[in-house]
Amino acid sequence: MAETTDVWRGTLALMILKTLETLGPLHGYGVARRIEQTSGGRLSVHYGTIYPALLKLEQEGYIASAWGVSENNRKARFYRLTRAGRRQLARESHEWALTTDILSRFLRAART
Amino acid sequence: MRRARGWLARAIAPFGAGRSDRDIDAELRSHIELHVADNIRAGLSPEEARRQASIALGGMERTKDEYRDQRGFPVIESLIRDIRHAVRLLVKSPGFSATAIVILGLGIGANAAIFSVVNAVVLRPLPFPDSARIMAVWHTPPREQFAGLSTFFSVSPANYLDWRAQNTSFEHMAIFGFRAANLSGRGEPDVLQAAAVSGEFFQVLRANAMLGRLLDTGDDADGHAKVVVLGEKIWKSRFGGDPSIVGRTIQLNGEPCTVVGVLAQPMKFPSWADVWFPLVWRPNERAVRGNHNYLVVGRLRDGVDVRRAQAEMTSISERLAQQYPADDKGWGAIVVPLHQDLVADVRWGLLVLLGAVACVLLIACANLANLLLARVLGRAREIAIRTAIGAGRARIIQQLLVESTVLAIGGGAIGLVAAGWSIDAIVKSFGASLPRASEIALDGRVLAFTFVVAVATGVIAGVAPAWRMTRGDAAEALKQGMGRGGTHAGERRVRHVLVTAEVALALMLLVAAGLLIRTFWQLRAVDPGVDPRNVMTMAVSLPDARYTKPEERARVFDEILRRVRAVPGVEAASAIDSLPLQDGGSMQPVAIEGEPVRPLSEQPELAVRDIAVGYPSVVRIRVLDGRDFTEADRAGRPLAVLVSASAAKRFWPDQRAIGKRLTLGLISNDVREVVGVVSDVRVHGLSVANAQTIYVPYAQVPMPHLSLVVRSTLPPSSVVPAVVAAVHAVDAEQPVVEIQSLDEVIGESIAQQRFAMRLLTAFAALALLLAGVGIYGVLSYTVRQRVQEIGIRMALGAARVDVVRLIVVEGLRPTLAGLAIGLVGAAALGRVLSTLVFGITPRDVPTFAAVAGVVIVVGLLSCLLPAYRATRVDPLQALRAE
Repeated sequence: MAETTDVWRGTLALMILKTLETLGPLHGYGVARRIEQTSGGRLSVHYGTIYPALLKLEQEGYIASAWGVSENNRKARFYRLTRAGRRQLARESHEWALTTDILSRFLRAART
Repeated sequence: MRRARGWLARAIAPFGAGRSDRDIDAELRSHIELHVADNIRAGLSPEEARRQASIALGGMERTKDEYRDQRGFPVIESLIRDIRHAVRLLVKSPGFSATAIVILGLGIGANAAIFSVVNAVVLRPLPFPDSARIMAVWHTPPREQFAGLSTFFSVSPANYLDWRAQNTSFEHMAIFGFRAANLSGRGEPDVLQAAAVSGEFFQVLRANAMLGRLLDTGDDADGHAKVVVLGEKIWKSRFGGDPSIVGRTIQLNGEPCTVVGVLAQPMKFPSWADVWFPLVWRPNERAVRGNHNYLVVGRLRDGVDVRRAQAEMTSISERLAQQYPADDKGWGAIVVPLHQDLVADVRWGLLVLLGAVACVLLIACANLANLLLARVLGRAREIAIRTAIGAGRARIIQQLLVESTVLAIGGGAIGLVAAGWSIDAIVKSFGASLPRASEIALDGRVLAFTFVVAVATGVIAGVAPAWRMTRGDAAEALKQGMGRGGTHAGERRVRHVLVTAEVALALMLLVAAGLLIRTFWQLRAVDPGVDPRNVMTMAVSLPDARYTKPEERARVFDEILRRVRAVPGVEAASAIDSLPLQDGGSMQPVAIEGEPVRPLSEQPELAVRDIAVGYPSVVRIRVLDGRDFTEADRAGRPLAVLVSASAAKRFWPDQRAIGKRLTLGLISNDVREVVGVVSDVRVHGLSVANAQTIYVPYAQVPMPHLSLVVRSTLPPSSVVPAVVAAVHAVDAEQPVVEIQSLDEVIGESIAQQRFAMRLLTAFAALALLLAGVGIYGVLSYTVRQRVQEIGIRMALGAARVDVVRLIVVEGLRPTLAGLAIGLVGAAALGRVLSTLVFGITPRDVPTFAAVAGVVIVVGLLSCLLPAYRATRVDPLQALRAE
């Protein structure tokens, strides 16, 4: 998957929000690892791309960040969902489900 | 919403909000550490762990860049970086920056000042609702009878009434005229300028009342109670802004008048008016068709354009000419948008001035470009290195343009301050000759204009150097290196072209200024026909209401003159209804006895002036034949007139005029006899040759308004208080206004020419100065660049004279090229200037020659200092420097 397409950006944002909802406050490295693991290694992109995406979400007010200490005692910037972020996650997941549903129906119909 | 918030966050990021670079650094480093720790736990060696982590991240630097790009807007950030960089650099070389900013400040300031005048006068619509629909409607007189005079003519009452009744183009049409209004009963008596307006006048304008109401169609019915509307300005200055003024009674022209309202005055219209009262015509006045004394305005109906209104007015005029040939034959009508009508006189001059300041700015631009070029060449190495480490050409061009634009905006700021001052000065010195002068201000539009001009200036001035610098390849520049290698032929050509353009532009401006100066001299050299030295004038009006009988008026004026003549220091005194060269003098049809009888509309029209006894001798008009008026030419005696020499020559070319008889049909059908021929006086303007005038004695035709002319042996202004006191001794309620010397009256008639000349001269001088600075700058730079060469020449035995010649030739070459181009350009511009010159052609040889001389002298002067510096070059040091 091309890493700069809008679709990728959009889905990455959604994955970040979902990750933070599931795991609670987390640093960028953790988020990137989680996304890689959850996708079963099928998403092999550079971890670095996570940071502009995190910053964008923060600029839009969906997540907030603060410096903290990691589980093994290292300083790291931790991101957490804001209330707006939760609402956005709900909305986006819903839309995503709808889109994939429509698309899969369409593709199935087109095949027959 | 959220997206907007994101944009906002990015927009303010460059100003310190959001992540700092150090923050980003720390976060990415912590990422690597976390990843390394994981990798080590997974069994990798520390080095391998670090390598893998870095690869997984996608490269530290690249990630940082992407991160930063999301932080703000990359373009804005680089722009802001460039601006910071530019400001730092400029602060480091204050001499260069100050020079550049001052040069640009002068250029931009001149533009801002003139633009604010053009903006207020020409561009901004009149401050009335939907003002584009307001038209002025004039008569056009039959050309034969008004040879050489204006084609726009005032309107007669009966024609106006027919226009108004018959047209379908105008929603409202109104007529108005000038009236003097003597205000008495409250402190010093004063003459206000009044407009007598028909009922629809304010509906045409859609003007608003601040207090009370404005006049309407009910007010101009005959027999109505006297009412008046005060203008906002006079209400404030004369009535202290009294909020309870409405309903109060004031004494105007000796009669009680009820104030019904105060008019909000975003502009004065008509320009003279302080107060407005209803125009009331008696039946006999309504029937006047042949006497044109009023101005007409109308508001076009929706969907009617000027062309249609014009067509309709033309056909109405043709009908009227058939119906009333005696009065209307040959008279047409012309419809002009009111705004255009008001500014027509100055529009052309202002546009020429705007062109002139644009030239000044172009010269300033070229100067800045040269300065920047010199500076940028000094930084060739820096730029080459930046290119070598990967800065794109666009980035470097951007950086250089940002530098010049920062300078230009600095210049713009200085320019605005300068413009603010000069606007004050312009309004103060020329306000009287500029319509809408009170509206001139630095408003938003001027600020926006100045900003755009500043940015454009910066970009234009920066383009040449930026293009020059980024064209060569980096290696070449590095090799030449050290920022001072030889001057390229190409670069020298650029500088010479710039200087040539400066000189050419400056020369064209100088020629224009020179032509206007010559024009002004020519105008001043025109003999007005009167000797204005030591003559004071002042206006006195005897209102109809207080002096109902003409004889009474004549008696009062006699008494006033008797007392004025007795004032110590007064050598002689008399009076005339309208001073020479002042607007508004009467033009009347004349019928010569013995010629075929013609209706009024076909009779020749001449200036007719009403004078008291002694007027010719006070202003030194010579009696060429016959006699002057005497006390004997009074009511009841044979009616007498004086004719000017050119009028006598027109009517009786081969005979003596004395004893000939004529009729002034507008005054009465009585026959008047020529008793004297007097020398010509320019009545219509110094540049108007037509001076045919007929004088009638005041005692036989007593008018309500006269201007006293007082010749004194003492300095003329010193007798004024005593003269005013003499008038007040006759009538304490009598205002005395418009106190000025006859010299000033004549000067005022050419105030617009003076305005254009002074400003254009100032701008041309500025342009010349800038061009001189330009030549100087280029030569100084050349001398610096060629120190070595000069050193070698001197070491080889060149004399100082040779060195001087070397530099002077270098400087004169572009000067002379600019001179040639500029002369050709100025000759081509002749047509633009032809409407502004008088008494000379726009290709006046002496002017061109003088200007060329001045430019050569300035060119040589600009060479002097650099040439002197070149002779001080020490050959040894110059050679060692390498």
